[in-house]
Amino acid sequence: MVYSLNDPARSSSVTRLRAPWRKLVLIIGLAGVGVASSAQTPLHVAAAADLEPVLPPILEQFEKATGIHAEATFQASAALATQIQNGAPFDVFLSADLGYPKRLIDAGLADAASSADSTSPIVYARGTLVLWARKDSPLSAPSLELLRSPELKRLAIANPDRAPYGRAAVAALTSLKIYDSLKARLVTAENIAQTAQFVDSGNADAGLISLTSALTPRLSATGSYFVIPRELYPAIEQGAVIVSKTSQRSAAHKLLDFLLSAPVQAQLAKSGLTPVK
Amino acid sequence: MDWQAFALTLRLAATTTVILLAVAVPLAGWLVLSRSRWRGVVEAVAALPLVLPPTVLGFFLLVLLGPRTLVGRGIAAILGHPLAFSFSGLVVGSVIYSLPFAVQPLVAGFTSVETAYVDAARLLGASSMRVLVSLLVPLARRSLLVAAVLSFLHTVGEFGVVLMLGGDIPGATRTLSIVLYNQVENFDYVAAAQTSAVLFALSVLALTLVYASWRPRGGRRA
Repeated sequence: MVYSLNDPARSSSVTRLRAPWRKLVLIIGLAGVGVASSAQTPLHVAAAADLEPVLPPILEQFEKATGIHAEATFQASAALATQIQNGAPFDVFLSADLGYPKRLIDAGLADAASSADSTSPIVYARGTLVLWARKDSPLSAPSLELLRSPELKRLAIANPDRAPYGRAAVAALTSLKIYDSLKARLVTAENIAQTAQFVDSGNADAGLISLTSALTPRLSATGSYFVIPRELYPAIEQGAVIVSKTSQRSAAHKLLDFLLSAPVQAQLAKSGLTPVK
Repeated sequence: MDWQAFALTLRLAATTTVILLAVAVPLAGWLVLSRSRWRGVVEAVAALPLVLPPTVLGFFLLVLLGPRTLVGRGIAAILGHPLAFSFSGLVVGSVIYSLPFAVQPLVAGFTSVETAYVDAARLLGASSMRVLVSLLVPLARRSLLVAAVLSFLHTVGEFGVVLMLGGDIPGATRTLSIVLYNQVENFDYVAAAQTSAVLFALSVLALTLVYASWRPRGGRRA
């Protein structure tokens, strides 16, 4: 973008102004040129809510490594999928499951062109379900016994119809054959962050949340967690896709490659996601 | 169509409206009649729920009414259960959330009553309570109707507070707005459209009946 200061029409209108104003116009103009030259359109990333504690430092490293500035919007995967379906200007979608990105691929709105099979999303991590409770809870520490205990009056889960961790929670309770007896004591939250709030505010006794949330400084200070055995629920595979109408396809590819690179995968492991490589 | 949620929503809105009128009429009367220097502060605080995003208000209530605060423990001791995730919790949330919608029209209505009448009543020795009950309320009865209708509708459409405070329990806290939201989020647009259509049709019908039955007689609006 060029704001030509030599443009005769423009410069004559500037010279007509009184001296102090001329200076101001010049400063604003130069600032404008500065912003215009440094600001490339950022890469817009639609990211699942469980990535909120994980992704920001990774995007910073990405910018350092490639010079590409990426901005993330965190919401429930279902909400992001709906927004993309209705034309939201995202370039990359990092879902907390495979269902929503697959839906976009089937609708012809997204693709995973860099992988061998471009019709399925790229799995970039797997999620871990944990049972979390406050340390000052009068009940026993989180365990499978706590889930079976009649003392457990309110168990918070994420909405199983759309939150991948909520679906995993119901699957785990069903495998343990306690879903029916717990059903009346379940409170359903909108997403995984709100599930944690229900428990952290003391209103629910315990909650089934993501390990990424349990490992945040806030929640690890106030509570403790128990990792739900993996054989109790189908793997929470998190899939990524590129939104087809992006104008920054190569930058989007670079971000996905970066996510799958060894150092970043190791970092994911530390934040509570299971690496895929 | 989730008729259980529909009935629950009407029950919540009706309960909230009754409580709100009982609270807002004396409050609005005091705001109009009082000369206290706290008047401005109280009026400002009563308008505050308009400022906060509903989900934030719901979050504050979740924390305030939860077992980690004195208030929350006191309530739990009286009721035998915490307020969050219960119908009574939603009533508390809705009363706070819709308070401005009851207070504002009442204050406007009471203020529009001729001050000469109020002064005359005062000169004849009427207490503020008497002025409110025998003068302001009958003369500004249309603003009472407006306050009731707004409170009711605002509670029917309430979403953020219920989302944060409710926990989506069928029959207790799953209101129509939550059902609608779930349908939209689950890509069930047909069901969502049906739910909305029922909600719209009933609201228009009810509002038309209310407003039509309240034609001012003789041209002057009370």
